[in-house]
Amino acid sequence: MCRGGRMFAPTKTWRRWHRKVNVNQKRYAVVSAIAASSIPSLVMARGHRVESVPEMPLVISDSAESIEKTSTAIKVLKEIGAYPDAEKAKDSQAIRPGKGKMRNRRYISRKGPLIVYGTEGAKLVKAFRNIPGVEVANVERLNLLKLAPGGHLGRFVIWTKSAIEKLDSIYGSFEKCSEKKKGYVLPRSKMVNADLARIINSDEVQSVVKPIKKEIKRASLKKNPLKNLNVMLKLNPYAKTARRMALLAEAERVKSKKEKLDKKRKPVSKEELAAAKAAGKAWYKTMISDSDYTEFDNFTKWLGVSQ
Amino acid sequence: MGEEATKVAVPESALKKQKREEEWALAKKQELSDTKKKNAENRKLIFNRAKQYAKEYQEQEMELVQLKREARLKGGFYVDPEAKLLFIIRIRGINAMHPKTRSILQLLRLRQIFNGVFLKVNKATVNMLHRVEPYVTFGYPNLKSVRELIYKRGFGKLNQQRIPLTDNSIIEQGLGKHGIICVEDLIHEIMTVGPHFKEANNFLWPFQLKAPLGGLKKKRNHYVEGGDAGNRENYINELIRRMN
Repeated sequence: MCRGGRMFAPTKTWRRWHRKVNVNQKRYAVVSAIAASSIPSLVMARGHRVESVPEMPLVISDSAESIEKTSTAIKVLKEIGAYPDAEKAKDSQAIRPGKGKMRNRRYISRKGPLIVYGTEGAKLVKAFRNIPGVEVANVERLNLLKLAPGGHLGRFVIWTKSAIEKLDSIYGSFEKCSEKKKGYVLPRSKMVNADLARIINSDEVQSVVKPIKKEIKRASLKKNPLKNLNVMLKLNPYAKTARRMALLAEAERVKSKKEKLDKKRKPVSKEELAAAKAAGKAWYKTMISDSDYTEFDNFTKWLGVSQ
Repeated sequence: MGEEATKVAVPESALKKQKREEEWALAKKQELSDTKKKNAENRKLIFNRAKQYAKEYQEQEMELVQLKREARLKGGFYVDPEAKLLFIIRIRGINAMHPKTRSILQLLRLRQIFNGVFLKVNKATVNMLHRVEPYVTFGYPNLKSVRELIYKRGFGKLNQQRIPLTDNSIIEQGLGKHGIICVEDLIHEIMTVGPHFKEANNFLWPFQLKAPLGGLKKKRNHYVEGGDAGNRENYINELIRRMN
């Protein structure tokens, strides 16, 4: 038996399927996609094989609008170098991996060129529509989902002459309003001159630029001046003479001390001994004759000291 | 942009760039020679100042000794003048502090354990010290302490950055406007609490000392009780030797 209960958040048909987008934003997107379709690097980045295409944007004459047979359509594609792109789309037809298979999205393939024509009711629609990967659109009704499939700019577009000529009247120019879209003017670009290299090397910029700093001074390891003499001298040039004087003074002190000790350790000669003894006796005599004391005479008798 | 047909066309912008580069090179060379000359002059000045200071310190010491001997001879006493300079070291950590004493320690720039700063002695600072006594130890540093601290662990504050004092130019940049242009000037200003002591002291980043070799006696008690906190007058020098 299966487990009971209802699924979490049962999907309802009244899910909000539709979204409102501002008209200006929708037009901005279409206009950007058309612009991107003329830049070969963007088109190649999107994955189209445009190596053998002679020029971007690719414009073909209006005689293409009256092609009726698919075989001629293929010949035309080969002539203009767009066939490798269509071929890529044909080779890429495969069964989708994943559950989409069983949800009515069984097959997938790459997108090929988009043919845009100008005159209403052109025969080329029927000729080109069966070629795998190739799509057709009237210039008055361009679909953003076809110009930037998957949200990626740079679809490979093949214009007919009348289609490209109509673009000006449909979307206007940067100054002129569009005729078909009331009051619509092409959006202004963020940078008028996007050539950074040119701007950087221009006179206006280079004249106020500062010179390049080639030698960057980085912090070196701090060395202790109390241990390292050179570093000490960098900070205090007097340190050298001070140290020299200190060393000399120390040497002098050591020498004089040694001399004094040597003299003391030397055995005393007879004359020096006699002189020292005589000096001692004289000093004793001065001590016992104290001239300041007035009652000295009585004192000497009492002490029994002889002069 | 092109010159005669025989010469190669040089774009105008390249010519202008060349001229600019020449001007820059000239200016740079001039600046270099100027700084070199100034450095040479400064060197002489610094040498003479250092010599003068050495003599001054020597004189002061001898004078003190002389006065003491004289007083002893006469039978009286010579009382040393009260110290003008203090060195404070924070000996307790960060946790569990009263917020008011915490602010006082922050004002003294002692934010980390074993940080040290110099301080001028006046009524205001003495009262501050009294309030943070259990967290710090302080005393009167001698010349050797001041010299060794500044040479080994001296860092200056240059636009909010802690820059090591590896060159006199750093000191000149920070304190040049007060006439202090070399390390010896700085030491002299700190030692003899001079007119610009505040600026000189503030220029010095708080000293980050190492934990004392041989240890502290007992952080929790005051110095007079056998511990370490509070005023230990001249014995601070011995502690600085162990912490520097």
